[in-house]
Amino acid sequence: MSTTAPEAVAGGRTGLAGALVVPATIFVAIGLIGPVAILFRYSLNQFIPGQFMVDGLTIENYVKFFTDTYYLNVLMRTVRVAVVCTIACLIMGFPLAYVLARTESRFKNLLIMAVVLPLFVGNAVRAAGWMTAFGNRGALNASLMGLGLINQPIEIMFTETAVIIGIVAVNLPFMVLTLQSVIEGINRNVEEAAFSLGAGPVTMFRRVLWPLALPGILAGTILTFILAMNAYATPVLLGGPKFQTMGPLVYGQFAQQNNWPFGGAISFILMTATLLLTVAAHLIVQRRYR
Amino acid sequence: MARLSLTHLQKVYGDFNAVDDVTIDISDGEFLVLLGPSGCGKTTTLRMVAGFVPPSAGKITIGERDVTVLPPWKRNCGLVFQSYALFPHLTVAENVAFSLEMRKVPHAERAPRVAEALRLVQLSGFDERYPRQLSGGQQQRVALARALAMQPDVLLLDEPLSNLDAKLRQEVRVEIRDLQRKLGLTTIMVTHDQEEALTMADRLVVMEKGKVRQIGNQRELYERPADRFVAGFIGRSAFLDGEATAPGRFRSRGGLDIDVGAAAGTGAATLALRPERISVAAEAGTCVNRFEARVEHVSYLGALLDIDVRLSEHDRMLLQLPNRQGSIEPKPGDTITIGWAEDAGLVYPREP
Ligand SMILES: Nc1ncnc2c1ncn2[C@@H]1O[C@H](COP(=O)(O)OP(=O)(O)OP(=O)(O)O)[C@@H](O)[C@H]1O
Ligand SMILES: [Mg+2]
Repeated sequence: MSTTAPEAVAGGRTGLAGALVVPATIFVAIGLIGPVAILFRYSLNQFIPGQFMVDGLTIENYVKFFTDTYYLNVLMRTVRVAVVCTIACLIMGFPLAYVLARTESRFKNLLIMAVVLPLFVGNAVRAAGWMTAFGNRGALNASLMGLGLINQPIEIMFTETAVIIGIVAVNLPFMVLTLQSVIEGINRNVEEAAFSLGAGPVTMFRRVLWPLALPGILAGTILTFILAMNAYATPVLLGGPKFQTMGPLVYGQFAQQNNWPFGGAISFILMTATLLLTVAAHLIVQRRYR
Repeated sequence: MARLSLTHLQKVYGDFNAVDDVTIDISDGEFLVLLGPSGCGKTTTLRMVAGFVPPSAGKITIGERDVTVLPPWKRNCGLVFQSYALFPHLTVAENVAFSLEMRKVPHAERAPRVAEALRLVQLSGFDERYPRQLSGGQQQRVALARALAMQPDVLLLDEPLSNLDAKLRQEVRVEIRDLQRKLGLTTIMVTHDQEEALTMADRLVVMEKGKVRQIGNQRELYERPADRFVAGFIGRSAFLDGEATAPGRFRSRGGLDIDVGAAAGTGAATLALRPERISVAAEAGTCVNRFEARVEHVSYLGALLDIDVRLSEHDRMLLQLPNRQGSIEPKPGDTITIGWAEDAGLVYPREP
């Protein structure tokens, strides 16, 4: 037989693969790239109070952002919160995902449902729930004072801590589910092989489980990092009016100040920062483990 | 390299005895094979030795060390999994060096030991490949090399050949056996392939339902099976149900009186005969036990003919005749004379 036959088959496959990605590609093009492009164009326009938006080609909106420490602080705060949340999700999510992946319990599906359950409640509703828990007379302070552990209510509400707790609660299920599916794909015998070759649990984790779970760890951290960078409801409700992060800032410029060019610029900075940090983290991790 | 003792080892899952009172002593350098039907507890036994399954009761010692409660990483048991379980993110050399790294063997010493282990399994030059770039047989040998590199006290193999094709299996079988002898490794292998067990083992352990039925070498198991289960499991046997009427006498359900060598108690019993010990036609002439039998079914197996015969309304049995040139070939419906010596028949009390 000729050697071209397999190639023809492979060619057919490529064609099929192409056809399979068409719908998603169209969706991404129309739903994502389009608006982003328009946003970018807006960000180069001028804003003249009273005149709304004036067509132009200027970088003054970007200059305004990067020369004002207020905005720079908002960006730094957003990045800091997102990094802390992502690390917290990873540290708490990994053991949970591991247990979920390895359990032979009949209630496994139930456990997974329990992890996803918080997502059934919308962001705003959940944040409202946190408000009642964290407030000066909230459940947490009430019970701590009731137990006599503290005599002044702890200020949690409207702090960075409250925002971090709130975002972690939202993002943890995404991290857990991503990690769980990857850990499930790691043959249990490989862990046992490491043990039998003399690796204790910590070494086994470092040399075997972690590197093999790395694709999932990357996917999970990217997902939770992006979600945390762009969080809106949680910082607004739990952080209060003085706790500004990028998400609410963008919204404010669009909806309250009607400053679309500046709002566009902030959006673009947020997106670029998210992208750059994600890629940087990705590269660092890959360099270390490949 | 050391001797290994399992003493009254037991594993209970809920109210189910997966391994029940297993006592085995394996001497230094011995190749022991655990054999038995699926679900009889072979893997569980092996995993208790490796330290992955905590025994419910009993004791495991390697050399002078009591390892019963030791975690796997302190046992120094080399383990080869059915699925090989190579580290997919490490090269062949890194896989083999893993145990050396764990023991902080100096870097300078690692390379020669890895090379030696790979040479033993004839995979020199594959150092830089990743497991996914190897065939199944090569992966299997890397798994073996990885276990050997740690210089284990005990080598444990759980159906190491079951993912290989028949021809490769034959080769690797010989390779493993040679290596094990050369290195004098105390080894337990689990298999349910009887031929594999018989060709590789110094001694075999036949297990059933978590219990050890018999421990012995090939000849002992084949010629002196301890019970009816072993008689049926190792090699083939023809069975006749009936009753032991007196020492040395057996009466089948169909009323045939049969002389048997070994004295047995009386009561419900089963007579087991190896098919090749049963003679046919003229050859049966001198046998103590001689019966007319009607051929019911003949299967052609190449070197052998399997023949189902009926001795009476209630008694059927299996014969095996060599398929020799010019020998008679019975056909269904023929009546033939069959016979066997007194010591060919083994009588076992009927099991409930
Ligand atoms: N974790 C467990 N929980 C409950 N029962 C178990 C568990 N592990 C094994 N068993 C049971 O113990 C028995 C012995 O299992 P084991 O894996 O040792 O069998 P095996 O002899 O290796 O069989 P095979 O030849 O099929 O591999 C089986 O009946 C199995 O169902
Ligand atoms: Mg098994």
